[in-house]
Amino acid sequence: MKVNALDRALLVAARELAAERRHPDGLVAALTFTGLLVLMESLAFGPGQARQPGVASALFWIAILFAATLVATRSFDRELEDDAIDAILVLDGGREALYAGKVVAIAIVLAVVALAAGALSLLLLDLDVALAGHLVLVGVLGIIALPPVIVLTTLLVLRVRARVAMVPILSFPILIPQLVACTQGASAALTGDAPVALGWAGILAAFALVYGVLGLTIVPAAIE
Amino acid sequence: MIETTAAPFPTIRVRPWLGRLAIVGSVIATFMALVWAPTDAVQGDVYRILYVHVPLAWLAYLAFFVVFLASLGWLWTKRPWFDALAVASAEIGVLFTGMFIVAGSIWAKPTWGVWWTWDPRLVTTAVMFMMYVGYLLLRSLSNDFSRRATRAAVLGVIAVIDIPIVHLSVLWMNSLHQLPTVIRAGGSPSIDASMGVTLLVSVIAFTLVYFAFLAERMSIELDRQRRMLEARS
Repeated sequence: MKVNALDRALLVAARELAAERRHPDGLVAALTFTGLLVLMESLAFGPGQARQPGVASALFWIAILFAATLVATRSFDRELEDDAIDAILVLDGGREALYAGKVVAIAIVLAVVALAAGALSLLLLDLDVALAGHLVLVGVLGIIALPPVIVLTTLLVLRVRARVAMVPILSFPILIPQLVACTQGASAALTGDAPVALGWAGILAAFALVYGVLGLTIVPAAIE
Repeated sequence: MIETTAAPFPTIRVRPWLGRLAIVGSVIATFMALVWAPTDAVQGDVYRILYVHVPLAWLAYLAFFVVFLASLGWLWTKRPWFDALAVASAEIGVLFTGMFIVAGSIWAKPTWGVWWTWDPRLVTTAVMFMMYVGYLLLRSLSNDFSRRATRAAVLGVIAVIDIPIVHLSVLWMNSLHQLPTVIRAGGSPSIDASMGVTLLVSVIAFTLVYFAFLAERMSIELDRQRRMLEARS
């Protein structure tokens, strides 16, 4: 049976999600960490400031950004622990499949984390959502825009000492435009500014596309 | 397969000349910036830091763009020469970006009243600086030449996307920083002719300094590569 590139990527994603379902340590760690971060940040700012749309959005997306690095690092830890990554890398087109599959799987896990953290933020901060559909759109595009960069930087430092520190050091500066777009878009959706929310959503889609294509192009060179 | 002998860097032969030209250019640029160029009607003499600040900004962009090209060169050909070019340009770029931020901060105090403000241009420049510090940090984490060069090259390709973001951030977001004066979509530069000439001379002088530094640093790096390969063989 001939397996095309998309099938290979989906196989990697399905395998990743199955591993996460059997041992959901990455998901549980990300959920706990994100919830804790949202609580701590809200407490540090105080209820008055934390309820402001701009601040609430920023707190949420910073928590998601940290969760994304946590999920990606844990995902590749698992690969390295049982040397499963080597089996994928020797396959024809395995590197691209590994990258695309990881991006898809991490985006799905992040969506679960974002759903829980979003519900927590809305509930605890008692936020008013003016444009729920726009908020979901920004949320979905934000979740899609983060993993291409995080997976790429994680692959770059896969067998490097101080890997846990290097992933945020390398990926966060690259992700600042996406973080700004997520925060501004979510804030605009909370306050009811539809054109601004859609504008930032468009920027997120563009970033997801650019880094997704760049990642797929450059990833064969990046993986050792 | 990595070539065990690096091709000689053609600029090395003109290295002494580059250094001398850079010194002469710097002396001329300093004279023009401090004496020849007129005083600004609004800012007075404070504006003269422009003749350092703008060339540093240009060189930061140039240095990181050279890192991008050298990274592509390494990924494409695996010639160590390209890796030497990338690391040399990245180090100089980080140095110039740091000086660019400091010069901007010195200029900001008398004109904006603060050393630092959360302006898009300032923040995106600081982010670019951090990004290339991360690049140098990544390079320092491995002793394997080929792996280090490949990892750094991939990051060098990705990071170049930040350069247009820095330059255009003043157009995309509300900014305290002035809009682009020289490289702008609206046509000719919006600057007095004598100031423009002085700025051009400063840019040329700083560019010569960049190439002089680049040649020296590349020479050191190629020597290091040669010693490393000899030790291995």
